[in-house]
Amino acid sequence: MMKYLFIVLLTLSLSACYEDSDVTLHQAGVYKGKLDTHSQTAEQRGAILAKRFGQVQTDR
Amino acid sequence: MAKMKFLCDEERCIECNACVTACKNEHEVPWGVNRRRVVTLDDGQPGEKSISVACMHCTDAPCQAVCPVDCFYTTEDGVVLHDKDMCIGCGYCFYACPFGAPQYPQEGAFGSRGKMDKCTFCAGGPEEDHSHEEIEKYGRNRLAEGKLPLCAEMCSTKSLLAGDGDVVSELFRNRVVRRQGRQEAWGWDTAYNVK
Repeated sequence: MMKYLFIVLLTLSLSACYEDSDVTLHQAGVYKGKLDTHSQTAEQRGAILAKRFGQVQTDR
Repeated sequence: MAKMKFLCDEERCIECNACVTACKNEHEVPWGVNRRRVVTLDDGQPGEKSISVACMHCTDAPCQAVCPVDCFYTTEDGVVLHDKDMCIGCGYCFYACPFGAPQYPQEGAFGSRGKMDKCTFCAGGPEEDHSHEEIEKYGRNRLAEGKLPLCAEMCSTKSLLAGDGDVVSELFRNRVVRRQGRQEAWGWDTAYNVK
C-alpha cells in the first residue's frame, strides 16, 4: 500500500517539474514582441490623416 | 505611404505648455512622467525661443539601435513604438535619445526605473486597438480613430505640427517664404523697439 502511495506522490511531485519549451530566443536587431495590427491599411490611414491635417492644422 | 513627423515652429511657440497638459490628460500619464515638455532657450532675454519637445519618431532611431531586448519597432506610418512587456527598464534608450524622450515611472522597490514610457504619436501600442490593455499601458490610440496627436491638434498658435512629413514640410516651407526672414509676429519690433 505504502509503495503505491509513494509512486503516486512521486508522480505528482515530478509533474510539477515542467519546463516550458516555448522560449523566445533573442536575435540582435529583430523585434519579437507582439505584432501591432490595424483594421485599415497604411494607405487608408494615410488618406484619413491627411484629410484630418487639412481640417485641424491649417495656417491661420 | 505617410511618414508621421512632429515639427515645432519656434517663431510661433508662446510657451503656454498646453501641449504638455493635453498629453498628460489624454493619456493619463502618471506623476513624474512627461512625454512632452516645452524647452525655452535664453529664457527672459530678448529673442527667447521656445520649442515643444517629445519623441521625434526618428527614421533611424538610436533608442531602437541600442535596446538590448529589441523591444522597439517602427509602424508603417513611421511611428516608433515599443512593447512594454519586453522592456526591462535598463535606461539605455534614455542615454541614446538626443531629445531625452524616454521616461521612467520609478516604480517598484530599490528605486528601479520600471517600464520605459514615451510619446506614442497617439498611436497606442502593440496591444489590440482601443483595448483596455492598450489604454492602460500606452494611452489612447487617436491614429486608429482617424485623429492626429492631441498636442498638435489643440496648439493655439499652430506652432506644433504633426502629420505626414511631406505635408508638414510643405506647410512650414510656405510659412518661411511668407515671413521673408522677418519674425512672424508683426509689430513686435515697433512695440518693443528691438533692433
